[in-house]
Amino acid sequence: MIGFLTLLKREIVRFLKDALDTIVPPTVGVILFMLIFGLALGARLGEVDGVPYIQFVMPGLILISVIRNSFMNPAYSLFQSRWEGNIADFLVSPLSHTQIALAIILGGVLRGLIVGALVLCAALFLTDLPFAQPVLLFIYALAVSVGFAGLGCIVGLWTKGWEGVNTVNTFVLDPLVMLGGVFYSLEMVRGVPIIEPLTALNPLTYITEGFRQTVLGGSEAQMLTGLGLTLALGAICVGAALVLFRVGYHLKA
Amino acid sequence: MSTPAISIEHLRKCYGDLVAVDDLTLQIERGEFFGLLGPNGAGKTTTINTVVGLVKPTSGHIFVHGLDALRDYRRVHRLIGIAHQEIILDGQFLNAREILLYQAGYFGIPPRRAKPRADELLERFGLWEKRSARVRELSGGQKRRLLLAKALMHDPEILILDEPTAGADVELRLQLWEMLQSFHRQGKTILLTTHYLEEAERLCERVVILHEGRLRALGAPAELRRSHHRERLEDVFLELVRGEQE
Repeated sequence: MIGFLTLLKREIVRFLKDALDTIVPPTVGVILFMLIFGLALGARLGEVDGVPYIQFVMPGLILISVIRNSFMNPAYSLFQSRWEGNIADFLVSPLSHTQIALAIILGGVLRGLIVGALVLCAALFLTDLPFAQPVLLFIYALAVSVGFAGLGCIVGLWTKGWEGVNTVNTFVLDPLVMLGGVFYSLEMVRGVPIIEPLTALNPLTYITEGFRQTVLGGSEAQMLTGLGLTLALGAICVGAALVLFRVGYHLKA
Repeated sequence: MSTPAISIEHLRKCYGDLVAVDDLTLQIERGEFFGLLGPNGAGKTTTINTVVGLVKPTSGHIFVHGLDALRDYRRVHRLIGIAHQEIILDGQFLNAREILLYQAGYFGIPPRRAKPRADELLERFGLWEKRSARVRELSGGQKRRLLLAKALMHDPEILILDEPTAGADVELRLQLWEMLQSFHRQGKTILLTTHYLEEAERLCERVVILHEGRLRALGAPAELRRSHHRERLEDVFLELVRGEQE
């Protein structure tokens, strides 16, 4: 257990010592989204699904923060350790492959939740949020962060260069997030070519909608559908990351 | 009779068409100072990286203190400390002392035991003044010593050193030799790869000479000189590696 906790501590210290690069910019970035989409444009958009647009958009923006930061931390940390060679420190220690993978994933989860919490605090300065299902909300955020930290772990193992992480971020994560119902509901884009089918096919649409319901209140069925999808995503990504560690994918020659 | 410190049985490692290690079988006894010699690309680093689990063997088996290095890797890793040829130090955000403390943590050593051990090694390796320095602030020699201190943090039974004196000046090389001999006097096993045959002859009780992944000679340096009718180990090495005959 000491070995696992030491590696987890390393992962946490890594992003906390570099908070000006790892915590502050993503938080500020999402706050800017809040100001622009929530305050500036939101006032002109009126109500969406029966709530002011600023309230509608906030849960999605919190979720974006959790997703991005949970993904980035393991992806960069793992690739950096591979790049610099110090991954060998963990691999020649008595830590099991599962312990190494879980410590790296958990580091990502904590960064995702920390940035998510900071963004949530900022959101409370701009609007009221009812927090309809606080326990489910936390479980939801935790499950999302675990899933995307698992994905980050897979990308950190897969990539052969720094650009690999950015490529996944730009061509996979950004489209998923932007077309995932953060800024609009599926109902708002009914009949809009390209956007409607892409949004309807995107699993993040249902995850975002479910998360929104835990914050704003609403359909329990949507909450549970989204949570189910999140848990499935988490199980697949974390399971795949554990398997890749076990077989030594891009870790052992 | 105790099992060997390291037993390598018919080890073969291929990278595509390249055979890096070819049917290597050897035993290193407990408490032995053993040298792994060979030119670049002979398979030395591949062999030791296979022992510590950084390289997956294509075929063959490795046992450490009788434990299967693949199946029992966690127990095997507790027995081994390794200093790699490249200077690999997690120095992006950790200082010299923290590097040692984290290393101890990975091996399950609690902080109350790790701190005095780290301080003892920092003193012993002449790094106490540099304990708060980042890796980039250390000289090449200090980095080499820190690597060795890191390998010793968990007080391993077996120390594996891949070219530990590469690039070291004469003074540092003598210091490192003295440290290794002191470690050996404690009854620990040392497996050393080196390009310096003088180093191998001075430190190692037995050496193996590898060439193109195959074992070409095995024995005590003096015994190899005698059996090959050469005055210097270097000549034996060249004969085996180049196939030179007088």
